[in-house]
Amino acid sequence: MTPTVPIDGHQLGLAEVVAVSRHGAAASLTSQARTRMAESHTWVERAARGELRDAEGESLAIYGVNTGYGSLARVRIAQDRIRALSWNLVRSHAAGVGNAVPAEVVRGMMLLRANALAKGASGCRPELVDTLLAMLAAGIVPEVPEQGSCGSSGDLAPLSHLALVLFKGETDDPAESGWAWFEGERVTGSEAMARAGLARLVPGPKEGLAITNGAQLTTSLAALACWDAARLVHTAEIAAAMSWEAVRGVTRALHPGVHALRPYAGAVDCAADLRQLLAGSSLTDSMPDKVQDAYSIRCTPQVLGAVRDGVRFAASQVGVELNAATDNPLILLDAEHPNKAFSAGLFHGEPVGMAADHLKLALCELATLSERRIYRLTTGTLSARLPPLLVHADRPGLGMMVPQTTAASLVAENRSLAWPATADSIPTCEDQEDVVAMSTTAARRAREVVQNSGKVVAIELLTAAIALRHRLDEEPDLVLGAGAAAALPVVEAILSTAGELPADAIHALDRAVHDGRILDAVVAHAGELAPVLA
Amino acid sequence: MTVVLDGRTLTPEALSRVARGEDVALCAEARGRMEASAGWLAEHPGPDAIASKWRWLVGTDSPPEDPEARVRAFLRGHCAGVGEPLPVPVVRAMMAARVNVLATGHTGCRPEVADALIAMLDAGVVPVVPSKGSVGAAGVAQLAHMAWVACGYGGEAWKGGERLPAAVAMVGLPALRPTPKEALSLVNGATLTVAWGALAVCRSRELLATAEAAAALSFEVVRADLACLSDAAIAARNHPGARAVARRMRTRLEGSTLCSLGRKPDPFSIRCTPAVLGAAQDALDHVEQVVTRELNGACDNPLVFEDEGLIEAGNFHGAPVALVMDHLKVALTQVASISERRTFRMTYGQLSGLPSYLLRSSGLNSGLMLAQYTAASLVSECKGLAHPASVDSLPTVQHREDHVSMGPIAARGAWRIAEALADVLAIELLCGAQGLDFHLAGEAVDDEGQVVEVTPGVPGPGVLRTWRAVRARVTRWDDDRVLRPDLDALGRAVREGAFVG
Repeated sequence: MTPTVPIDGHQLGLAEVVAVSRHGAAASLTSQARTRMAESHTWVERAARGELRDAEGESLAIYGVNTGYGSLARVRIAQDRIRALSWNLVRSHAAGVGNAVPAEVVRGMMLLRANALAKGASGCRPELVDTLLAMLAAGIVPEVPEQGSCGSSGDLAPLSHLALVLFKGETDDPAESGWAWFEGERVTGSEAMARAGLARLVPGPKEGLAITNGAQLTTSLAALACWDAARLVHTAEIAAAMSWEAVRGVTRALHPGVHALRPYAGAVDCAADLRQLLAGSSLTDSMPDKVQDAYSIRCTPQVLGAVRDGVRFAASQVGVELNAATDNPLILLDAEHPNKAFSAGLFHGEPVGMAADHLKLALCELATLSERRIYRLTTGTLSARLPPLLVHADRPGLGMMVPQTTAASLVAENRSLAWPATADSIPTCEDQEDVVAMSTTAARRAREVVQNSGKVVAIELLTAAIALRHRLDEEPDLVLGAGAAAALPVVEAILSTAGELPADAIHALDRAVHDGRILDAVVAHAGELAPVLA
Repeated sequence: MTVVLDGRTLTPEALSRVARGEDVALCAEARGRMEASAGWLAEHPGPDAIASKWRWLVGTDSPPEDPEARVRAFLRGHCAGVGEPLPVPVVRAMMAARVNVLATGHTGCRPEVADALIAMLDAGVVPVVPSKGSVGAAGVAQLAHMAWVACGYGGEAWKGGERLPAAVAMVGLPALRPTPKEALSLVNGATLTVAWGALAVCRSRELLATAEAAAALSFEVVRADLACLSDAAIAARNHPGARAVARRMRTRLEGSTLCSLGRKPDPFSIRCTPAVLGAAQDALDHVEQVVTRELNGACDNPLVFEDEGLIEAGNFHGAPVALVMDHLKVALTQVASISERRTFRMTYGQLSGLPSYLLRSSGLNSGLMLAQYTAASLVSECKGLAHPASVDSLPTVQHREDHVSMGPIAARGAWRIAEALADVLAIELLCGAQGLDFHLAGEAVDDEGQVVEVTPGVPGPGVLRTWRAVRARVTRWDDDRVLRPDLDALGRAVREGAFVG
């Protein structure tokens, strides 16, 4: 049983996000965070009631509490309309289009929003967080369309779709409760909540903003992508080590002295991992005439090391965002000023968007490198005398010809997706929101690129396993390195139950790459690899 | 109406009807051509097609001895696609397009091969084909997955909305038993690219017409100056698309009391509409021409000619269609981009002369504020997707297939952009109708920002038609409500062609 994840705005990590969003771990608001939230909420309620005055004795104007939104901040809202304002925000901002965001990503959004509110800077009731966490526990997944967010001021539309399920107006209209998945069925938000025994809340002052202001779709996508990318880096190292052995590569390129001379952390770690994975191999360094290998082998630490550094950078940016308040305005109760509501721009998706764009680029390179090794292993003249296309002499076929083509296609697709989304911006909201992040697009593309790259690594594992089996068949006395020795039996076991088509084999290995079966087996045998994430 | 495949006259429009479920037939003349080319091959027994190709690809003399085992091993080896299944209409289009290639009569295939695929189409049996993993040159994985099912070797197929094992779905249908050359011809060409491309062309045609309707509606909302549609001005620049766009827009706007003539030059998103939509139309005309040629071309290798014999060439390479798909992506992105700027303008109080976000009570209500964000986000997404796929190439198959087209990636990108454009236009139509309501009701905003009564405006007849089509689906916004149902309803209508004509 996974321990309950404490929600207080300070200690959420990628592992916790994965545990809750993907594996159903429970999360609960800490009592300290609850107190902080209640205090800031009390202040907002007083402001909304007009009890707080500025130096001239006028009631304080607070963005989104008693003003309109965006460029409409110039309009003051009457006190008796403040709750209607919050509900209107949610309704009118539910403006997404396209396919539904995957369930694990929606769960991540809910968790991240809960944690952002738990900072106690949003002025909303603790009940909002309790309800979000109860929805997670009950397995309610609001239907969130994936397109239409600019990532500033946060993922407004996606979060509004989520909020339609959580909130209701003064009169509860099921037709305005959005949609949710509950117990395998798509039902109205109102029905999902009723069936789970949860009450929908009427949003109070600022609570519409509190739920919608922040790039949580971006961050949920990016967090899961960073997690998968970090695991994929390790799996790619395993595949690289197997290919290294298959081409009887030279390990001098991995010597620690070499990497000390150009000490990028990623390269140093990658070379160390490869040494560990190749330890004991009788295939490497077995061709006396060969002084060095082609780049796709020899430069693996430089390329995959840079990928490592990129993933680590992206994950560290995401790590900041996981524990950030992303709201506007922020309620700073300790500030000297009588107006504790500070309008700023913490909702802006740029930091996470740029990280997601970088992650995407890094994973493109991971796949590029892997595909060229696949090509090498399948090309008779490049593979140190492996059979062309790895066709087995006794089982005529096309071998790995088309899987290599498939890998090439995935790499090309990655390249066309690598265009940085955050490089773009289009003015919105009557020029009030004139520089937007486009971070959501960056993170959605990052997820696609991570998935494509996982398939490329699956094809390398397939190719390298066949190549190593060929070597072992020819020379049964060969000894595999620690990594290949652990990976090969797992890969072959998976292949033995896959269907007869190359597509079946790739699909089965892709799933094993994703769920970590191969990586776990190698770590159990060859020891822990250098961590990718800080 | 049954679509007759003759290898010569297939259009993207007819193919898209097949995609949506139309029956297919092979014309008698094409049948004769196929019989003749298969007959020629039978009378000139050279080296077996797969065996030769095998030697070339693998570099060893190792194909299975038995011809059927050879066919099976060849097709199996090509079934290496990955990812989500292709949409059913795309697979149907791909099947029919491949039949049309065979119908050119240069592939050495018997009519039975075409008949088998046609029987599946008519019975609504559609192979489950993974969407990714093709580089758009020579043996294409998606075609192999199609052939694998057609031969009854295995796989899965859709039938009546259900995903079934192929053996179950294929009950009652003749199993294809291809000769080696036929197996090669089934998979050897960029037909996924052209099939998807043809569907993108048809959808783009409708979207461009919709973009004109939406632009004309926006013209009324911002009370545009119609001098920018002057035939004299536009004809002086020689681009036929711009001239046609301006002509149609003049017709739509004829008699409008809201628009004026020669009073003030408008901003570019209004004034340059004919230039941008016209350029897109010219681009689409070119794209359609190439796609149509390709649909009726012998995209296969080797080819059979009764007078010259068997010729090995490079007709399978997807470059021609890959290039125009990338071109289409850029053209559609421009259309989306200018539409979003008109939406921005209409929702921007100071620029439109109407209340902010097109609601009398904006402030407490945000009105259509977020609709513009969604459009902006979609346009930005289009820009990313518009990155050309065909600029990339990776060497494949042991230096033999050392330059490839990446056509399927380009075609998929074009389809994705067309999908986003549909929603961008739906948003322009939503905002346009909401803006026109003020003019129809005689409501204007004075210098103090107050809504005042003025003489109601009369829009052009085409615009009134568009406005009615919007209002038949979504009601006017008076107060905030959930926006998504409106976007869904109009997005669906745009995709159904409700605003064309």
